[in-house]
Amino acid sequence: MNCKEVEEGEILEAYLLDRLSEAERDAFEQHYFACEACLAQLQTSLTMQEELRSQPSARTHAGSVFFRQVWLWAPALAATVVLAVGLWRYSARQHPALQVSSAPPATSPHVSVQATPPSPPAASLEDLARVQPPPYNAVVLRGAEDEAQTTFHTAMQSYSKGDYARAIPGLRAAMKASPRTAKFTFYLGASYLLTGQNDAAIAALSKTIAFNDPLYSELAHYYLAKAYLGKKEVPAAEQELRSVVRLHGSRETEAEEILRQLPR
Amino acid sequence: MQLLSTTNAGEQRNLVERIRQGDASAETELVREFSQRIFVMSVVRTRDRELARELVQDTLMAVIGALRKGQLQEPDKLAAFVHGTARNLINNQLRRDRQKPPLEPLTEDVACSGAVEQLEAAERVRLVHQALDRLAEEDRKILWMTLAEGHKPGEIAAALGLTPEVVRTRKLRATRKVSDLIRKKM
Repeated sequence: MNCKEVEEGEILEAYLLDRLSEAERDAFEQHYFACEACLAQLQTSLTMQEELRSQPSARTHAGSVFFRQVWLWAPALAATVVLAVGLWRYSARQHPALQVSSAPPATSPHVSVQATPPSPPAASLEDLARVQPPPYNAVVLRGAEDEAQTTFHTAMQSYSKGDYARAIPGLRAAMKASPRTAKFTFYLGASYLLTGQNDAAIAALSKTIAFNDPLYSELAHYYLAKAYLGKKEVPAAEQELRSVVRLHGSRETEAEEILRQLPR
Repeated sequence: MQLLSTTNAGEQRNLVERIRQGDASAETELVREFSQRIFVMSVVRTRDRELARELVQDTLMAVIGALRKGQLQEPDKLAAFVHGTARNLINNQLRRDRQKPPLEPLTEDVACSGAVEQLEAAERVRLVHQALDRLAEEDRKILWMTLAEGHKPGEIAAALGLTPEVVRTRKLRATRKVSDLIRKKM
């Protein structure tokens, strides 16, 4: 392989996207082991790839893909809403006692109504660090599981029962058998966090984030923030919470709320 | 420091011989020459920078160990030998049945060179960030859809209302802009 072939065949890009055959990959690696120009270009492109993957514009685009998918489902969603409203009206006619009054409830003389909502009481760092275990739904796939998956599922049985300490050895074994699986490192990090091992949680959750797995990135940032809060490292926690907000996922509101309550 | 030209078989042979004779500076040259190559290869194959750093250390120590013992049969194929060693260690790591060769601790020079490379990597990240910010929005989007999302030119063209050829041209132009800035500043 030479530089011209690399450029014309878009080899560098295919290499970064893992689209080369084993033989092509070896040939390109042997080339840049002996070619300064291609090595420099590869270093730049790899850095560019990692930067682009972490930029917020990526989320905007992901959002647009999501909305395109929502529009595909929109007619079915609308039909479901119409059906549900119809059933509710029918049910209400049949059972008047179930009707909900649309009139405002009478104000109790003992309850004073405030013009502005009360400001929330200041939360301590201990309160902010408090954590609910991330949910886990076992998905059973057809076909034989590999050793790592089997070990993981066994460990997650303990996790599901709330026995996080017992889950840890199995999760570590699963991670050892398959070190590139974000799911394993994430639940290991969560288990460490839930057993008060903040440093170990930080290591495992940081590793999860490095994998860039969209299923676990947001959750990993969120629980990493909790781990930092547990260690009273507010700036690090703030940084993670801001990452959660940028991802615009299911934890965005919670992250914003915690950010508002962080001590300044 | 002038880097070794890995394309030059004579220089490779010379370096191998100096290491075999116990020349510590030759080991430092080897580390400077190959650590970035092994690191990039390991990052691409494992997508784990922490693990990649470990693999660089493991590979270099295995290579230096072999060279000290004069185990490289064809000294003018040093680059291929380093690549093969790295590939085997990465594959073993990925299979989790790695059999590490006996390793010896790094010399101070070797350890220091890693710190320099980390500074260079940080500078590269800063410059790439700066260069990406300077690109036109659509060019950045094309790069993002290509490198981050893995879309092909035809798919990007359909999404952005362009032709695949225009996507290829703009992608190439944008990549060159980023590379040029890095080349000028580093």
